Amino acid sequence: MKTKLLLLFTLLSFALSMAQTKISGRVTYKNKGVAEVNVTLKDSYDGATTDSNGNFSFETSEKDNKILVFTHPKYIEVEKSIVINNQEVSASIELKEQISEIEAVVVSAGSIEASDKKRATALLTPIDIYTTAGADGQISSALTYLPGVQKVGETEGLFIRGGTGTESRIFMDGSLINNYFSNSVPGIAGRDRFNTSLFKGNIFSSGGYSALYGQALSGALMLESVDLPDQSSYDFGVSPIFLNAGFQRLTDSKNSSFGASLGYSNLKLMQDVFNFNTDFSEAPESFNGDFNFRIKTKSGGFFKYYGMYDSNRMGVKTESLEPEEYDWSLVKLKGKNTYHNLSFKQKFGKYLLNAGTSYSFNRSDLDFSTEKNNVESGNTKLLTDGNYINFKTVLERKVNKISALRSGFELNGTSEKLSFNEFVQKHYKGLISSAFVETDLGFSNQLSAKIGVRAEYSSYLEKSNIAPRLALAYRFAKEWTTSFAYGIFYQNPESRYINVPVNLDFQKAQHYIFQVQRTSEGRSLRLEAFYKIYDDLIKVKNLSYIEGQNQYVQIADNNNGYGFAKGLELFWRDKKTFENIDYWISYSYLDSKRDFMNYPVSLKPNFASEHTLSAVAKRFVPKWKTGFNLSYTYAKGRPYYDIATQDVNGEKEYFVRHEGRLKDYNALNFSVNYLPNLGKKDAKAFTVLVLSVSNVLGSKNVYGYNFSMDGSRRSAVVPPVNTFVFIGAFISFGVDKTQDAINNNL
Amino acid sequence: MKKYLLTFALSMMSLTAFAQADYEKIMSDKIVKLETTMSVDQFQALANDFDRIGKKETKEWLPAYYAAFAYLQKGRMLMQSGKMSELSGNANAADKYLDQAEAIAGKDNSEIHLLRKMAYSLRMMENPAERYMTDGMKAMEELQKAETLDPSNPRVALIKAEDTYFTPEQYGGSKEKGLQQFKEALEKFKTFKPKTALDPNWGKAEAEYFLNGAAK
Repeated sequence: MKTKLLLLFTLLSFALSMAQTKISGRVTYKNKGVAEVNVTLKDSYDGATTDSNGNFSFETSEKDNKILVFTHPKYIEVEKSIVINNQEVSASIELKEQISEIEAVVVSAGSIEASDKKRATALLTPIDIYTTAGADGQISSALTYLPGVQKVGETEGLFIRGGTGTESRIFMDGSLINNYFSNSVPGIAGRDRFNTSLFKGNIFSSGGYSALYGQALSGALMLESVDLPDQSSYDFGVSPIFLNAGFQRLTDSKNSSFGASLGYSNLKLMQDVFNFNTDFSEAPESFNGDFNFRIKTKSGGFFKYYGMYDSNRMGVKTESLEPEEYDWSLVKLKGKNTYHNLSFKQKFGKYLLNAGTSYSFNRSDLDFSTEKNNVESGNTKLLTDGNYINFKTVLERKVNKISALRSGFELNGTSEKLSFNEFVQKHYKGLISSAFVETDLGFSNQLSAKIGVRAEYSSYLEKSNIAPRLALAYRFAKEWTTSFAYGIFYQNPESRYINVPVNLDFQKAQHYIFQVQRTSEGRSLRLEAFYKIYDDLIKVKNLSYIEGQNQYVQIADNNNGYGFAKGLELFWRDKKTFENIDYWISYSYLDSKRDFMNYPVSLKPNFASEHTLSAVAKRFVPKWKTGFNLSYTYAKGRPYYDIATQDVNGEKEYFVRHEGRLKDYNALNFSVNYLPNLGKKDAKAFTVLVLSVSNVLGSKNVYGYNFSMDGSRRSAVVPPVNTFVFIGAFISFGVDKTQDAINNNL
Repeated sequence: MKKYLLTFALSMMSLTAFAQADYEKIMSDKIVKLETTMSVDQFQALANDFDRIGKKETKEWLPAYYAAFAYLQKGRMLMQSGKMSELSGNANAADKYLDQAEAIAGKDNSEIHLLRKMAYSLRMMENPAERYMTDGMKAMEELQKAETLDPSNPRVALIKAEDTYFTPEQYGGSKEKGLQQFKEALEKFKTFKPKTALDPNWGKAEAEYFLNGAAK
């Protein structure tokens, strides 16, 4: 009987235990209710999800000592012990923020990151670049539609915030690219050598960049090359100015790929159609080929190799500024370049190793001459052969989810031979060795800092420098962040001016950048103020004139140059307000003066415009499978100077013989791309047809003036062509291996 | 004594059976809710409910499967209200549960591959122009896998029909063809028998909804 009773009792207690107890409470973070928290009574089905005020309530038949678990991806999981008897249980809890890479504020002063990553608004992805009218599909041109980059048409390079084109550097997977732009002749800008589609994304820094990079007084563009392709493919491009073909093959194991491409371009046909400003005695012509491979190793390492070769030629004939002596001046260019980049990346536990090396050879063979009565004479050859080798390795250690420590070293070797007839013969050799250390410190999701220092030694200068860098970012409201960056940046004097032995030092710049940014769904607003101080800039003097020379040779003399740049920039991008329309507007105000090179006094530099405004708009019409793109740039006329020499107490001194302001720059560009096979599931080929018209309104822009020896005559430096029309077709055939993959898996 | 022990054992058995019945009951309750709700908050709550069940029933793949489905449905609701930047977060959450489900159910599960397809599509919708070539392609790949693994799966037919229905004509889509495919899907639903009462059986109502002309 007793046992029976006991049994009954046991069963009863089981049944009793089915009685429901209510458990309720509130989940908060900083005293505000948190919604969507998963509240679980451990080891049971019972629980609830908090409402928008953070309240929850549920009933359970569980008894005694239990644990409540609170989970939410943005907060740290909390467990709370409770005792359940027959009374209602109330359990409230305050959560702690989960530090996470996705939520953490990112130091963004001075930089715009462009890839399909978490910072989804201030982007300039490869597609953005291809669909920016007037950018000709070139990364460097597309960047001129962002704040801080000047519209300088006569010289290649990124002219950032009052800096020259040589003050910015371009990196591929961490390694320096020594000759990013093709060889060119004076007055015509070289073009990007690297195809935009080689890079999945980029970080463009208009100042205050990381200690991992150096030798750029103004800014840096870090390009990140693409990974393994999703499938094998063949590509062709056809247009009246070029032909190219390439392939990418993904191996069956999907762990490696290789590819190659060949291209040829010639402007001759277009020259016959359009009215060019530039008289090309030899139409610009180039040939290029490249090869790449990417291998994922079994242990998780990733090798990437990219190698390319290109050669180009052109000849330009310009009306003489010295008609008494000759009728035409001529320049012929023959350029050759090869570039090889190998990078390796692997994770070892908490460590991430990034190593890269690059080698390049560049030859620029310029032949200057004059022509009188159809007889060419006075040939002067400027031949530059450069060999460059770079090596860089960075080891990163994660400290916690949002903090990391990085350190490494970099070697940049240069060997340049230059001969300018018998006037100058030189062989410049230099090695810059750098070491750097940097830490990302995440204090909370709202506050983070990046502190770094870089030390460099230049074997040519026999001098060293130490450059500290600092950046802070703080999120002061949900969509608003503010950042501050400071840094010292050093750069060797350009070797092209080092023509005679001279005691020189590093050139130096200091940046102060303050930024406020608002990022919300589909929109971003960025306001940035900067102040830049230049010191120890190179001053040059003319090498004494030798009869027969048709150009003065400038040689670096001392480091007495200096200057400043300050300004305000605004960037607004909006993909949301108008359906299918993505547009952005940037405005830059720039106030700069500097005394450098051959400037006799401190002047507003001839490459800095005070006001630059640009707008880019893109509209894709899904129905027509066509994208329409417009862009417009206005830049207030830059100053120009005619700097000549005069004798002062027997010394040659520079003086400003003429000066003035160029007319304002204006260009409205338009392009259309049509994707006929878009969305066709069974289509074998993917085709893009492009029509683009640059400078639709035909504005006659002027980039500067050349002056005659005596200063009595001048000629305008203008774009090779005012309005240009480009048409092209790009076709890619994807070798879809999906079916194979499925069959192999079954 | 023996008898009592037996009774006790029996009653204990019935209690464990009760626990099993408990799992089935709560699952079927939640599944009904999942198929009827239309609110973002409810989908989130259901995802949490399934998460809770999954944590306890570590040998069952269905709780994780339904948690993933709840996140996908939540994502699809968000998409309809234009909150595009929240899509990949929900797709990622779904993927996490699909990994769990796959670890239990194995790689050859047509239903799981179908949800993977939906996750990729959702992610693609955040930025179709850029992600078409990556996420869009992977979505197609997963759909194909789901179909190869189980050609009779009516949900594969349903999602295919939806794709056709919502794709503009210039892109190879067609309302008419879509409706035809919904019809075919409905036929498949009529003959489809889920393996257990809790196995995926959603989608019929959706096919009917389209065929009744409710979606214009």
